[in-house]
Amino acid sequence: MIVAEPKPLQEVALSVSGYKNVLILGCGTCVSVCLTGGDKEAGILAEELSSSKYFKENQPSFIVKTIERQCEKDMVEAYLEMPPDTDAIISMACGAGVQTVSEIYKKLPVLPALNTTFIGALDESGLWREKCQGCGDCILALTGGICPVARCAKKLFNGPCGGSSKGKCEINPDVDCAWHMIIERLEGLGRTDHYSRIIPFRDWSTDRGGGPRKLVRPDRTSTVAVS
Amino acid sequence: MSFFKVNHNCNGCLSCVQNCPANALSHRDEGSKRTLMHNISLCARCGNCWRICPQKAVEFQGILNGQWDEVTTMELVHCMICGEPLYTDNFKKAMDGKLEYEPAALCPLHKKTFSLDAWRHLAFDEKAVERSA
Repeated sequence: MIVAEPKPLQEVALSVSGYKNVLILGCGTCVSVCLTGGDKEAGILAEELSSSKYFKENQPSFIVKTIERQCEKDMVEAYLEMPPDTDAIISMACGAGVQTVSEIYKKLPVLPALNTTFIGALDESGLWREKCQGCGDCILALTGGICPVARCAKKLFNGPCGGSSKGKCEINPDVDCAWHMIIERLEGLGRTDHYSRIIPFRDWSTDRGGGPRKLVRPDRTSTVAVS
Repeated sequence: MSFFKVNHNCNGCLSCVQNCPANALSHRDEGSKRTLMHNISLCARCGNCWRICPQKAVEFQGILNGQWDEVTTMELVHCMICGEPLYTDNFKKAMDGKLEYEPAALCPLHKKTFSLDAWRHLAFDEKAVERSA
């Protein structure tokens, strides 16, 4: 899922300073699950901002709503009922949600309350770790299901760098060496032949190097404009 | 009760069934009747049914703003002074063997204000309660 973390309260308060009627809009999917941007967190943010010391005068009033997904334009347009006189929106969504809501409400500022951090997994209760960078050319079949793009600090494709020690990365002893894990995993699978393969130079145009990416399903584009 | 609702435009074409990525929609043809079925535990709430429906028959707000289901009901223990609900009788039974003493059934306010012995005394003396307020 997409994982995000709350921005400092002061930063959010500063961004909304000067507005009168602010909608705090929670998002019901990824950021609800990672406990940062759902309906509960939207309510907590409204309470914190309402009682905060950040507005010396002209304290804005806050209304909280939550929609299932802020990243789906048609659903937001159809089902989000904007409170009258709203002059700013604080979005509790990831960056995709913030931008989608911005596209819909062209005359309203849409201000992020979160920093979108990574695509990750819940390793244990309350702990999410980055597992994928959405590079667009998955090599997990060759690396025992452990991603060297997202989990090796140097994004190495053909074995460890030599800086790791006792299975830990040289950048931080709390970080597992991805290649240590890959090799252990391949040994366990009896597929060390994958390790002996040389993975060639990578075409990074499928990653951010190729600019913003898109996915088109021609069989589903009849009601959706594709540009 | 179904969270998935369709309006009178639905003609049973099954576009929603065929296009549901989570296989949460199905149908049953029995005798002279076609029944559309939805399984909320499979539903991803993605809205594809709503988007794809050629009749605009899917009322997706039923999925987005569904009603509350009652899950279970059990006995409550209340503050013996003011009657504020504290915890369930089942919770009390679960805790009974784990605590070194039996906690008094008092809300935070009344637990803080007086000792249990004092409240036992005051509970039978309304004037004393009024004085303490």
